[in-house]
Amino acid sequence: MPAEIADEGTFRVRIEDGRHVDLLGTYVLNQLYITAILVLVVLGLAVVFGWLGVMNMAHGEFVMLGAYCAYMVQEAGWHPLLSLPLAVVVTGTVGLAVEGSIIRHLYRRPFDTFLATWGLALLLREGVEVIFGRGYKSVDQVLPGTVDVLGIPYPAYRLVLFSAVVLAFVGLFLFYRASTLGARIKAMVTNPVLAEAVGINTTRLAQWTFVFGVSTAGLAGALLAPLVRVEPFMGLDYLLSSFFVLIVGGLGTLEGLLIGSAVIGGVDTVASAILDKSAGYIAVLTVSIFFLWLRPHGLYSRR
Amino acid sequence: MNRRDALQLTLAAGLLSGISPQILGSIARAATPLKIGVLIPMSGPGGLFGPSCRNCTEMAIDEINAMGGILGRRVEPEFADVGGPPSDATQAAVKLWKGQNVEAFIGMHDSAVRRALTDLFRGQVPYVYTPVYEGGECSAGTYVLGETPTQQLEPVIPWLAAERNVRQWYLIGNDYNWPRDTNAVAKGYIAAAGGSVVGEEYLPFTVDNFDSNLAKIKQTGADAVLVTLVGGASVGFNRAFASFGLSGGVLRLGTLIEENTLAGIGADNSANLYASAGYFANIGTEAAKAFRNAYAARFGADAAVLNSLGESCYEGLKFLHALAERAGSLSTDDTDQVADGTVFEGPRGRATMNDRHVSKDIYLAEADGVEFRVIKTFMSVGAGRNCG
Repeated sequence: MPAEIADEGTFRVRIEDGRHVDLLGTYVLNQLYITAILVLVVLGLAVVFGWLGVMNMAHGEFVMLGAYCAYMVQEAGWHPLLSLPLAVVVTGTVGLAVEGSIIRHLYRRPFDTFLATWGLALLLREGVEVIFGRGYKSVDQVLPGTVDVLGIPYPAYRLVLFSAVVLAFVGLFLFYRASTLGARIKAMVTNPVLAEAVGINTTRLAQWTFVFGVSTAGLAGALLAPLVRVEPFMGLDYLLSSFFVLIVGGLGTLEGLLIGSAVIGGVDTVASAILDKSAGYIAVLTVSIFFLWLRPHGLYSRR
Repeated sequence: MNRRDALQLTLAAGLLSGISPQILGSIARAATPLKIGVLIPMSGPGGLFGPSCRNCTEMAIDEINAMGGILGRRVEPEFADVGGPPSDATQAAVKLWKGQNVEAFIGMHDSAVRRALTDLFRGQVPYVYTPVYEGGECSAGTYVLGETPTQQLEPVIPWLAAERNVRQWYLIGNDYNWPRDTNAVAKGYIAAAGGSVVGEEYLPFTVDNFDSNLAKIKQTGADAVLVTLVGGASVGFNRAFASFGLSGGVLRLGTLIEENTLAGIGADNSANLYASAGYFANIGTEAAKAFRNAYAARFGADAAVLNSLGESCYEGLKFLHALAERAGSLSTDDTDQVADGTVFEGPRGRATMNDRHVSKDIYLAEADGVEFRVIKTFMSVGAGRNCG
């Protein structure tokens, strides 16, 4: 790359040059958006991995299933909003079946859950390929067009998605802190034997926690489908970044999820803006490696 | 034995003794089918293109056999999956070559596999490489049919500059040799057309978020983007591009946006999107229409989508047929001597070999929803300088 182009790409803020201010604004919006998207996508894995200790390698495939639900709703000619309940029902049902048949026997055996869910991921990918074929599917934009935010045109659907994620996250946070169910989950996570002794049915609680986790992944897939490519292998994109977020943020808390998403999204955005996309990717990998090495419990862990 | 039988026997013996062993050998071989190795991706990132390659190969082979085969021999395909790393592809090719006595190869795969195969074959067996690629292949016994960057861009960039008034180009591609070589060639044509390059970026294959790239494209004021991202990356980029409202004012030109990629990009996101290639499924020529109808009739409506990569396998067999008949053998000593000037016709139109590459028609298409509409045909475009 010629030096003068790299130099022009850096985001120096010059008030007299409107284009640079716009650029900085766009980066800020992108940073907020990517944080929200990571929270949305990783929530399911944070629950399943952080609370249940299941290293769900099929997490991305549940996102993929949700995206195909959006495609099916479109092909059937239904209203796009129906893709959300369909995604929850489909991924929830698959999750229930998988928990009952495979996962239930593997709690507290992280490496075995890793292998079992890796196999499950292959099965889900191939299954979708058999039904829908290998090719790319396009889900129509739900709210095409852009809206000006402080003078910067930004995709309308992204703004709606961002607001929805913020509301849902705040709701979930308050619910988890205040409700009895939240307290029971905390009890199960910190001391399952004691929880069982005080009358908490941990088998059922774990089962529904797992179903909740995978159906939020399905929901994420359905919500993202109009923005991304939809194909059987799309889940792999989400799996890696999800683990990076949890490594940095720490396991078992919603605060950790938020912090991890902001750090991973931010490191990528800033390095990509100043240098280029390869630098962004290298920076994310480097940060994740340093966390695994020096701070394996992440920034905000329950441990 | 009566007198007539005795006479016939004598005559037959005389005839047999006069026939040379060489002719006897060729009669024996005419009975054995000619096996052709067809190396296509059935797995990995290119696996999406495997089914259409296979269908097109089968069509070509049936047509060739109906016309009497190659050198009078019935042709049989031996398929192998080369969607994995080059070492696996080499193993598959050795099995076919030495184990199954395959006498010629058709390949539709990436350049890393091609280099491994030319090292393996060392010019001892004819090898036809069919997909779009970066140019420069010149090994003995190797014949290249795909579009080079010169062919895809030399006529197209000046045409877009004149007809669509684009000057400021942003170049974006995945980080490997095909996009880099394509862009190196593109820069010359952009400068010659009075334009300038305002940005150039290469992305790892793992990237699925293009926000920072789109912000830069906007900031540089580019009015055209040359897209050499491939497959899923191209789909993701083009969808995000349109969602940011850039497609209204900024033209996109892709040199590997084929029918599958366009289907993934979607009708909502394909405004102002152009593609340059030697083949599109709905080229309007009679030959292309006949091919498309035959494909639909044979494989049905749900068949793998026709595209330039799949169709290139059909061209590969048609070319091998023309070359072998012209040389009178499948020995690379003979085929290399007569390769220049070999002419063959397919759905793409008429192509002529020169310097192991072919001059051919290049189509510039504009996306119309999820269909390509050819808006300009450039006749007999040369592949540029590839040897020496």
